[in-house]
Amino acid sequence: MNRTAIVALALVLCAGTNTIVLSHESQPGILELRQVSRDRYEVTWRAPIYYGRPHPARLVLPEGWKDTVEPTVRMLPDSQVFRRVVTVGDRGVEGIDLRFTGLEKTVTDVFVRLNRLDGTMMTVVARPSKPFAKLRGERAWHVTAGEFIGLGFHHILSGVDHLLFVLGLLLIVNGRMILLKTITSFTVAHSITLAAATLGYASAPLPPLNAAIALSILFLGPEIVRSWNGQTSLTIRYPWVVAFLFGLLHGFGFASGLTTTGMPKSEIPLSLLFFNAGVEAGQLVFVFTALALVRSFKILEVQWPRWAEALPGYAVGSLGAYWTIQRTAILIGGF
Amino acid sequence: MAGIASLCCPSSAAAHLVMTGMGPVYDGIGHLLLTPEDLVAALSLALYAGLRGPISGRRTMFLLPFAWLIGGIAGLAVNALPTFPVSAVSFLVTGGLVAADFYMPVSAVMVLGIVFGFAHGFLNGVALNEGAGILGLLGIMIMLFILTAFAAALVVSLNKPWARIAVRVSGSWTFAIGLLMLGWFIREAK
Repeated sequence: MNRTAIVALALVLCAGTNTIVLSHESQPGILELRQVSRDRYEVTWRAPIYYGRPHPARLVLPEGWKDTVEPTVRMLPDSQVFRRVVTVGDRGVEGIDLRFTGLEKTVTDVFVRLNRLDGTMMTVVARPSKPFAKLRGERAWHVTAGEFIGLGFHHILSGVDHLLFVLGLLLIVNGRMILLKTITSFTVAHSITLAAATLGYASAPLPPLNAAIALSILFLGPEIVRSWNGQTSLTIRYPWVVAFLFGLLHGFGFASGLTTTGMPKSEIPLSLLFFNAGVEAGQLVFVFTALALVRSFKILEVQWPRWAEALPGYAVGSLGAYWTIQRTAILIGGF
Repeated sequence: MAGIASLCCPSSAAAHLVMTGMGPVYDGIGHLLLTPEDLVAALSLALYAGLRGPISGRRTMFLLPFAWLIGGIAGLAVNALPTFPVSAVSFLVTGGLVAADFYMPVSAVMVLGIVFGFAHGFLNGVALNEGAGILGLLGIMIMLFILTAFAAALVVSLNKPWARIAVRVSGSWTFAIGLLMLGWFIREAK
């Protein structure tokens, strides 16, 4: 593909990096309701820190829910934890709406988890566009499907490190067939580890995983420059091999986006399938946006200066290096 | 292999945390996509630039986001909303130009892009003062660049006369919406 014209996409990805941020703004909120007796529930609302301040969203419990003990608030480095024990009355919790006022002004999703005494569990997601969660028992498969497709889609498009890796691959490949092979390899690989991690067959601890993902981006930087200079290497000849190997790592990253929702076991196969579909859809949107942008530049007869042509490779490499150093420092406890 | 093998030892669940600091940039991208007053008007201007040819389209693609950013920085600094109906006027001007396929030299299209971008950027800067701030503006700028490139290139690539007419029809709709917005503004002002 015309790597010179794709400079703008690299700018998209490099523009927003700033200083070290230890917990990012799209960290989800978590509301957990644990049934402790027939009509009594423990309600734990973990509101993430938002732009360095307490989260603006407030949990509104239904009328009729009464505190049985004094509510507590605990301040943690990355969140505020509100804990209450309430009685819910004879109506129970089925069909109840839990509202989050102020959530609509943020970019935070809230995972709501209900653990019942009989061991059953349900999850539902409240979003800025739908700042409430309706508690219900069984639900139609298409509702679950829609929810998890959205979650997967959101996960990849908000994961700039995954996108930067895909961009790096796009910059290396030449020709449609190789592009197809490379993207397919990445998809197959991350699907394998996503499934393995979600089903509990494998897992990767967070700090080394994040550092390794950053390293995969750093790895592509010199390869892009090499490819741009007309040189060759194993990666340039067989980009789909690299896409596959590093795709295995990225799959663990995607898995965390799914496992943190605390879905019930009965929903795992369906959730996995549709979450992966969402990830693929997001990935395709990104790839097609990049290709469409390249096409647009051609139509508009954009002539990039020499320095701009080199920028994408350096942007991918620099950001990869920055994140590798940052995440390695976190890994060894320096930050 | 050793690395892969080491990953295959199930242990505690690990949540993936994207520590990139890109949140405010995404806020900005979302802000533009969810604000029709900005989105429709910007697309309308990009369509007009495309109607005027690849040079106008290309220059607008670079100038509009840049002017938007400068206006946004000014809005962040001043933090006061103008009483002038910026969006309504933008809809009327860009919609009218597209509908009429009005000829303007490239330099005039550039001036239009700068003025338009600065005015809308200013409003965005005021809106983002409490939240995403400068990084949010950067997100808007990036999204604007992409959308302008798409819209302008789309129009430049149109060869069939009816396709250009369809673009002009969209301009007439934008103009009509602008009229309604202006009417609403005047009604509210009374």
